[in-house]
Amino acid sequence: MADLKIVSKPQPCIDAFEKATGRLEYITDLSLPGMLHGKILRSPHPHARIVHIDTRRARRLSGVKAVITSEQTPRILYGPIIADQYPLAVDRVRYMGDAIAAVAAVDLDTATEALQLIRVEYEELPAVFDIEEAMIPGAPLLHGTERNLATSAEWEHGDVTEAFCQSDLVLEQRFSTQLVHQCYLEPMAALADWDGRGRVTFWLPIQVPSVAQRNYAKTLGLSPTKVRVIQCHMGGAFGAKLEHSFHLVCALLAKAAGRPVRIVYTREEEFQAGLPRVPMVIQLKVGVKRDGTLMGKKAHLIAGNGAYTSYGPAILSAAATRSDCLYRLRNVHTRMDLVYTNTTPTGCFRGFGNMQMHFANESMMNMLADRLGLDPIEIRLQNATQPGDVTVHGFRIGSCGLSDCLRQAAQRSCWQDKRVRRERHRGVGVAAMIHVSGNRSFMPQFDGSAAIIRVGGDGQATVLTGEVDMGQGSYTVFAQIAAEELGLHIDDITVPNVDTEISPFGLGSWASRVTTLGGNAVKAAAEDARQQLFAVASEMLGVTPEELIAEDGRIRAPDGRRISITDVAQEYMYQHGGLPVLGRGHFVPPGVEVSHPETKHGNISCAYPFGVQVAEVEVDVDTGFVRVLKVVAAHDVGKLINPLGAEGQLEGGIAQGVGFALAEHVKMDCGKVTNPSFLDYKIPTTLDVPEVECIFVESQDPYGPYGAKGIAEPAIIPTAPAIASAIFNAIGVWITDLPITPEKVLTALQETRAARPVS
Amino acid sequence: MKQKITLTVNGRIEKLEVEPYRTLLEVLREDLMLIGTKEGCGVGECGACTVLLDGRAVDACLTLAVRANGREVITIEGLAQGDTLHPLQRAFIEHGAIQCGFCTPGFILTAKAFLDENPHPNEEEVKRALAGNLCRCTGYAKIVEAVLDVVEYHSTEVSSG
Repeated sequence: MADLKIVSKPQPCIDAFEKATGRLEYITDLSLPGMLHGKILRSPHPHARIVHIDTRRARRLSGVKAVITSEQTPRILYGPIIADQYPLAVDRVRYMGDAIAAVAAVDLDTATEALQLIRVEYEELPAVFDIEEAMIPGAPLLHGTERNLATSAEWEHGDVTEAFCQSDLVLEQRFSTQLVHQCYLEPMAALADWDGRGRVTFWLPIQVPSVAQRNYAKTLGLSPTKVRVIQCHMGGAFGAKLEHSFHLVCALLAKAAGRPVRIVYTREEEFQAGLPRVPMVIQLKVGVKRDGTLMGKKAHLIAGNGAYTSYGPAILSAAATRSDCLYRLRNVHTRMDLVYTNTTPTGCFRGFGNMQMHFANESMMNMLADRLGLDPIEIRLQNATQPGDVTVHGFRIGSCGLSDCLRQAAQRSCWQDKRVRRERHRGVGVAAMIHVSGNRSFMPQFDGSAAIIRVGGDGQATVLTGEVDMGQGSYTVFAQIAAEELGLHIDDITVPNVDTEISPFGLGSWASRVTTLGGNAVKAAAEDARQQLFAVASEMLGVTPEELIAEDGRIRAPDGRRISITDVAQEYMYQHGGLPVLGRGHFVPPGVEVSHPETKHGNISCAYPFGVQVAEVEVDVDTGFVRVLKVVAAHDVGKLINPLGAEGQLEGGIAQGVGFALAEHVKMDCGKVTNPSFLDYKIPTTLDVPEVECIFVESQDPYGPYGAKGIAEPAIIPTAPAIASAIFNAIGVWITDLPITPEKVLTALQETRAARPVS
Repeated sequence: MKQKITLTVNGRIEKLEVEPYRTLLEVLREDLMLIGTKEGCGVGECGACTVLLDGRAVDACLTLAVRANGREVITIEGLAQGDTLHPLQRAFIEHGAIQCGFCTPGFILTAKAFLDENPHPNEEEVKRALAGNLCRCTGYAKIVEAVLDVVEYHSTEVSSG
């Protein structure tokens, strides 16, 4: 592997030229002849019965081409995991922002005006907003489930009671994480059009085109063959753009209007009716021996599902299990409850629940180290999961560079020095993480990835994949792998977006799975294409295929004679009646299993990434303002495919982690978002982000392509607990309720001063 | 009632009739098909729609098209000279300052207006100049590096020339 030419070298994203020149077309840059603009009428009440909807005046407005309510739809429930939502509300609305009706008009102004002409008579119902209140018997019920539970589970592995008995110290603490928005710069959007044979085509910036094709077909009452999804270039997604019920509204509007319809969210709609991160309240109890050995853990996670279910059940399962596998923990007792409230439905956001639980778990590790007088790095090294381990949840750990990450992060951050001889009001803190590269449990039918590589007579290769690039650079990784294996230049490779009519079925971009699973599939397809090229080249050069090497656009024989891949591909085409070389490849991750429905036990991924971040902060004790000065991030990526892209993932993920830790919070008053704008919901700017030092540990995963594991989500997971513990190191207070705002810091400082005897 | 305006966009004179309430962003994207200017929020909070108006960076979503009458507009499409990229475009590509790319045109134009005024800034000044543009993908490190690289390149050119 020492002679890799393209893989492992820094590579700007393959569509960077188009992006830098403004030529790349996102969905809002596309339009179809006769296209109409769609708008959605949203509930002004958090919970109400719909008594009557009068759309007559809206229909009469000049320029309006369609007005629909649920009456004009099949009224089939939608939901990727639990079908509990109609695309347009039937009889009842359950959150402020719930879709009631939709309008398609010749322009946006007309559509907006028409919304105002729709009269809806409501009968308001009692509502519940707080996740813990929603579980109290007698609370208003959203879907008729007991205590508003969408899902819940409880399990024990080992014997936690006994573990606590044997512990020298047992700490208990409540943690909470807030509602935060993904804040991709391109708002959500959809474009849909029907043909004369009852077939609908969606153009969507979407992370899961193939899965959406199936799920959307169900709710439209169609066979999947009648639904085509064409993925568009995406202006960021971070988990939010998996599926969304408004895509269905767009299709239903287009059907009613008989013309293509595009819906683009406003930024305000994003906050009120997007899919923000699942907030959690976590009650955690951990027992430990005096020497730092972890004995047992008891956790109760309560998570906010909002009014309808997106991916909450899977997100909560991830939260409830993954972080237990970071250390050699044998006794765990966990209960998890996913709760409906009359608030915006929640969904996926980078980290997928694992980030919320890591905040609790890793903060607890630091609290335990403090109470025992141990170094937080040392207590982690002592308990760290190692290669070959089978964890308490059945994760079979192939590669694991956790201990290396801990040592390198400590060394490069001058950990010892800064922790002990720290400057006034400055501190350092550490947190570690584990995540997955793919999640077998996500779709019960299968896991894996497939690719087709077409090498045309011009020697140019096209990689067809079912996976998605949402801006993170996965298609650049695919192009690198294809170029490496085919001996082509990176400019010879194109990776078109997914079109469900053409591309292989793919599970899409989530669970940091694309590099590992998709990368293996592309590698296999490229190897297959190369063999076909070599078969022809061996005839042309008079040597056996085994003797050939492809590099730098040429195929070379042992005696140094070369022919261009273009000539070989052309010869192949001539010999095969015009057929291009078609390489086919797939990857089914070995040894993975769907986790047990109740205990969540199972080896859900073929490769587990690890990482450690050390944050350095400065606290202004007069204002409570926390500034993150630097984050040293050591991540086990298995093998770097694109160092430039991996650094970008770390820097971007850490910036999001800083926002999550210190500032971001979608605030609600009785279900209404009170800060639905970038002015009031502050994401980090150039002035708020810390210096980031990236360290990559290459543990050579046995199943990753060239050894590579995922990095997109790992980047954000340990940032918040590292910052929280750096604040403790700086000023001696723990903040366990995110975000760590100046108010909370000041309050905690005042409480500490009040409790301290005057000397 | 529509108003007649004449403006220079990327060096071309454009004569248009626009409603007085339409923004420069709408007119650029919808009438002139210059889709490189992006709308991220529509209310001047994200900077994705930044264009140059008489050399100064403005949010096209907050600028009425009629206000551009008689003035010169540069959008991202007007930055490269034929196939030769502007040094900022090249630096953004090479430094990996582009991920999803939606904020990129706005960042590049903000940086251009800033460097035209202040050709030799330090890192802190670059960060301040870019603080009104939001990016959610990169964490800004590579964007700031790219701009500083252009500053250095210009400094070298000046000193060697």
